[in-house]
Amino acid sequence: MKVFHQSPRASALATAPLVGIIAALILAVAPLAAKIAGWVLGFFLIACGGRLFMNRDAGKLPSLAVKVLLFALGIGGVAATYGSMLGIEPGLSILLFLVSLKLLEANSARDFHVLALIGFFLALCALFFSQDLLLWLYVAVVILLLTATLVRFHRGEGVASYRRSTLLAVTLLLQALPIVVLLFLFFPRTYGGFRFQFSQSILNAAGMSERLSPGSIAALALNDQIVFRADFPDGKVPPMSAMYWRAGVLWRGDGLTWIHGLPLNEEGRLGQLGGMAVRQRISVQPHGARWLYALDRPASDVRGATLEPGGFLQSRRTITSQFRYEVISRPENRQTTLPAEQRVETLRPPARVSPQVRALVAGWQREHPDPQDLIETALHFFRKERFIYTLHPGTYSDANGLDEFLFERRQGFCEHYAAAFATLMRVAGISSRVVIGYHGGEFNALGKYVIVRQADAHAWCEVWIKDSGWLRVDPTDMIAPDRLASGLASYLETHGAETDPAASQRSTAAAGWRELQRDLRLAWDSINYQWDLRVLNFDEDNQRTFLLALGFGSIRWPEILTWVVVLIATCLGVIGLWLRRPGPESGDEVGRWYGRFCRILEGGGLKRETWEGPQHFGERAAAHFAAQAVAIREITALYIQLRYGPAAPAPRAFIRAVRSMPRLLPATGGT
Amino acid sequence: MDSRPPKIRVWVFPNGKSIALCAVLGAMWYAGASQGNGAAYLLCFVLAALVAVSTVHAWANLRGVRIAVEPMAPAFAGDDLAVPLAVSSISRRSHFGIHVSSGVGKKAVLFSEVAPDGVQRGTLRFPAVRRGCFRELRLRVSSRFPLGFFTARQRLILEQPHYIYPLPGGTAPLPRTLAPTRQPRDGTRHEGDDFGGVRAWRAGESQRHIDWKAAARGQPLLTKQWTGEADEIMCFDWQALAPLEVEARLSQIAKWVIVAERGGSSYAVRLPGVTIKAARGDRHFHQCLRALAVFEGGGPSAVSGGAS
Repeated sequence: MKVFHQSPRASALATAPLVGIIAALILAVAPLAAKIAGWVLGFFLIACGGRLFMNRDAGKLPSLAVKVLLFALGIGGVAATYGSMLGIEPGLSILLFLVSLKLLEANSARDFHVLALIGFFLALCALFFSQDLLLWLYVAVVILLLTATLVRFHRGEGVASYRRSTLLAVTLLLQALPIVVLLFLFFPRTYGGFRFQFSQSILNAAGMSERLSPGSIAALALNDQIVFRADFPDGKVPPMSAMYWRAGVLWRGDGLTWIHGLPLNEEGRLGQLGGMAVRQRISVQPHGARWLYALDRPASDVRGATLEPGGFLQSRRTITSQFRYEVISRPENRQTTLPAEQRVETLRPPARVSPQVRALVAGWQREHPDPQDLIETALHFFRKERFIYTLHPGTYSDANGLDEFLFERRQGFCEHYAAAFATLMRVAGISSRVVIGYHGGEFNALGKYVIVRQADAHAWCEVWIKDSGWLRVDPTDMIAPDRLASGLASYLETHGAETDPAASQRSTAAAGWRELQRDLRLAWDSINYQWDLRVLNFDEDNQRTFLLALGFGSIRWPEILTWVVVLIATCLGVIGLWLRRPGPESGDEVGRWYGRFCRILEGGGLKRETWEGPQHFGERAAAHFAAQAVAIREITALYIQLRYGPAAPAPRAFIRAVRSMPRLLPATGGT
Repeated sequence: MDSRPPKIRVWVFPNGKSIALCAVLGAMWYAGASQGNGAAYLLCFVLAALVAVSTVHAWANLRGVRIAVEPMAPAFAGDDLAVPLAVSSISRRSHFGIHVSSGVGKKAVLFSEVAPDGVQRGTLRFPAVRRGCFRELRLRVSSRFPLGFFTARQRLILEQPHYIYPLPGGTAPLPRTLAPTRQPRDGTRHEGDDFGGVRAWRAGESQRHIDWKAAARGQPLLTKQWTGEADEIMCFDWQALAPLEVEARLSQIAKWVIVAERGGSSYAVRLPGVTIKAARGDRHFHQCLRALAVFEGGGPSAVSGGAS
C-alpha cells in the first residue's frame, strides 16, 4: 500500500523510450564532439547516465536549486573555457550543456518532445561541418532513431515495442520519400540576402593559405581530404602532368617566404590567353575561405567570383557549402605588356641578398645574357647540385634560409624550390612570381572526373619573358620529374620501397588487395560525386533550369506551389487510402474460432454486445438456447481457460467443440 | 441497443508541439538557405515530410477504433459519473495511445494499445454536474500517435441512457411519521422488512437487492439482507418544502430518501404531478431518485438533453 504521495520529482518517463532518446542524442552529438568543450561532453555523458539512474524505482530528479547551480556553473565554465560566449564552439558547448540539464529534468511528454526536437537540430548541426554523403546517411539514421523513439513513446508498452516502432518509423520514412522529392525539387530556393554566415572557423578544413613558407605545403602532403572534383563536359581531358590547378598568385617574396602582397590594378583580363580551350565543371568542397580553382589559366567569368590580377579566380563570398561552377581555361598567356607597377613589384628582390647568392646569379648572368638561357641554367643548377626532394627537409631559419637551402642543406619540398627559384630570378632581373594551387589529382575512370586532394597541393613559378608573356616554370619538375608524372602518393611509395627491399616484396604481395581497395574507394567516390552534383549543388540556378526544362515557361511561384500542394495532398491521400484498408485476418486461432461461435449464436438471434464479456454472454446464451446449454457452457469455459487461464492448454479441444456446434435457427431458441 | 457508432469524422489538429516543430523546421530552413547548404535543406524536407505523413497515420490510428459505453450505474450530482468503456478495433489492426475524455473533466482514460482481437476496458470518471436523465454521452477521443506533433480528435455522441440523481443535501428534519404499518411476515425477505446489513452479491441472484448506492461509489456488488419489519411510513412532500427553491427541495428529498432507505423505513414521495406510493427497497429507492432526477418545474418530463 502506498502511504506516501509520490514525489513530484519522481521520474514519470518510461525507461525504454528514455534509453532510446539518450542513445539518439549521443549519436547526434558524436560528429560534433570536436567542436565542443571536453568537460561539457563529459557532463553530457554523466547527465545521460544519471538520468537513467534516476529512472530506477525510488529515484528522484534534481531539485530546482541544483539545476540553477549547475546552470550558473555551466555558463560560467563555457565563458571561462573560450573567453567569450560568441562563436560556434561556445555556442555548441552551451547548447549541449543546456541539453544535458534538460535531460536531467525531463519528466513529461512535453520535455520528451523538446529533447527529440533538440536531437533533430543537433543532427542538423553536424551538416554544417561536412556534407559528405556518408555523414548525411549517418544523420538520416539518427533521424530514424529519433522518429522510432517518438513512436515508441506514444505507443506505450507492448509486445516487441521497439522493433515494431522502428518498423513504423521506416514505413513513415519510405512513405515520406515522394514528398521529400517534391519539396526538394519545387520548394523555392534562395541564396544571398542572409547576413548570417559561418566563418572559416567552423570548417576544420586545412588548406591553402595566402602565405607560402617552408613547410606550408609539405604540411598538406599527407592530407587526403578532397579539395574539389572536376569533370570535363567536352570530353577533353588534359594529361595528368599538365593539370596545374591555379588557386592564387604570390607577388611579394623574401627568400623562402612569399605572400600575396599588395593588391594590384587589374591586368588585362581576357583575350590575351591562347591555346586549346578546356571546359571544366568544378565542384568545390566547403573550405571556409574564398579560394576557387581552375586549370592554368582561367579564361572565363564565373558566377559569384572575380578574376583577380595574376589570373586566378576568387569567390565573392566564403565557401561554406558545396559550390559548383563551370570555367574555361586556356594554357598559354600571351600578354605582351606588363603594367608598370606590376613590373616594379615582380622585380623587387628580397630585402637582404647575401653575397653568395649575388655571386651565383652574377655568374649565370655573365654566361647567359639571354633570359631564356639563364632560366634553363638555373633549373639545371638544382639538378646538378644534387638537390633532394623530400617531405622532411627540416626547418630553415627565417633570416638566411635561402642561403642555407641553396648552399648547405639542399633539401626541400616544392615550396622551397618555387620560392628559391622565383627569388633567384628576381635577383637576376627577371620578373617572377609564385603560383600556388594543386597539381594533377586522381582520375576516376568510373565517373570520368578528377579528384584533387590537399595532398596534391603544389607551388610553381611564373617568369615574364618579353613578347611571350608569363611562362610557367616548375623547378620541382627538374628535381623529381616522376613526382609530377605519377602523383605524390606513388612517388613516396616507390621511393620509400627502394630503401627497403623487404617492403618492396610486401608491396607486390599487397598490390592486388590495394588495387581492389582503390577501385572500391573510387566507386564510392563517384557515388559521393553524384550526391554533390545532384543534391548538394541543386540551388536557385539549377532549380530554375530544371523548372524551365520541365515546361514552366516562366517561373510563376504561386502556380508551381499550388501544384506542389496538390501533389503532396495526393500523396497523403494515397497513403490514407492505403492505411484505411482492413488489417490481415487475425493470426489468433482461438479468437477466430470464438468469433465463429459468436456468429453461430448470432445466427440463432442472440448477438453478443460489444461490452459483454465471454462469461456473461455464455450465461445469456445458455439461458437462451436451453437445448445447447451444455455445449455453450463448455465452449465458454474452454475459451476463458485458453484466454485467461494461467497455463493455456492446446486449443484443439476448444476448436473441436466449436466445430461440433450445430447451426442454430431462431426457431430453435428455447424462449 | 444498436451499438454501431455513428459516422463521426476524425480530424487532425496541430498542438503545442507543432509550434515547436515549426520553429525547428524554420531554423533548419534558415540554415540551409543562409549557408546554401543542400544537405541541411534535404534534412529539413525529410523532417517536414515525415511529419506530414504522420498526420495521415494519426488519422488512420483513431479512425479504426470503436468505442462503446456499457450500461452505466446512476450517480449523484457532485459525485463522479463512472462510464465503463469498451474499446475495440474495427480495422483488424492495433491502435495506440487512445485517450478518451468527457468534455467536462480534464482527466482522460488512456488505452495504450487496442489490439485487433479482444476488447479493452476502462472506466472514465468525470464529475456529474446536472441532475437528469440523459440519453447520450458526449466523449472526446484523441490520440497523438505516432509522432506527437499532431493530435487526431474525434467527438463522439454515444447513446447510453443514464441518470444523475440530485445532490443530496439540506438540513430540514425528517418529516414525522404518517402511520405505522404492519407488514405480513412469512420469514422470507420482503420489501419493507428491516435492513439487516449486506453481504457479497452472488452471480445468478436477483439484482433487486443489490446495494446500488455502494456500487455507484465503486464498491463491489453487495446484496442487502432483510430482517424484521417495517414500522413507519414517511411521506416526503414537495409542498412541505415551500420556502425553498426547486433544486434545494429536490436535494432535500433526495437526502431524506437516502436516510429513510438506510434506516429501513417505508417512504412515499409526492411531487407535483408524480406520486410514488410508500414502499421501500432498492427498486423503490431508485424509482424515487429517478423521479427526482427528471423533475422539471411543474411536471416531470421524460428526458432532458445531453450531459455536458
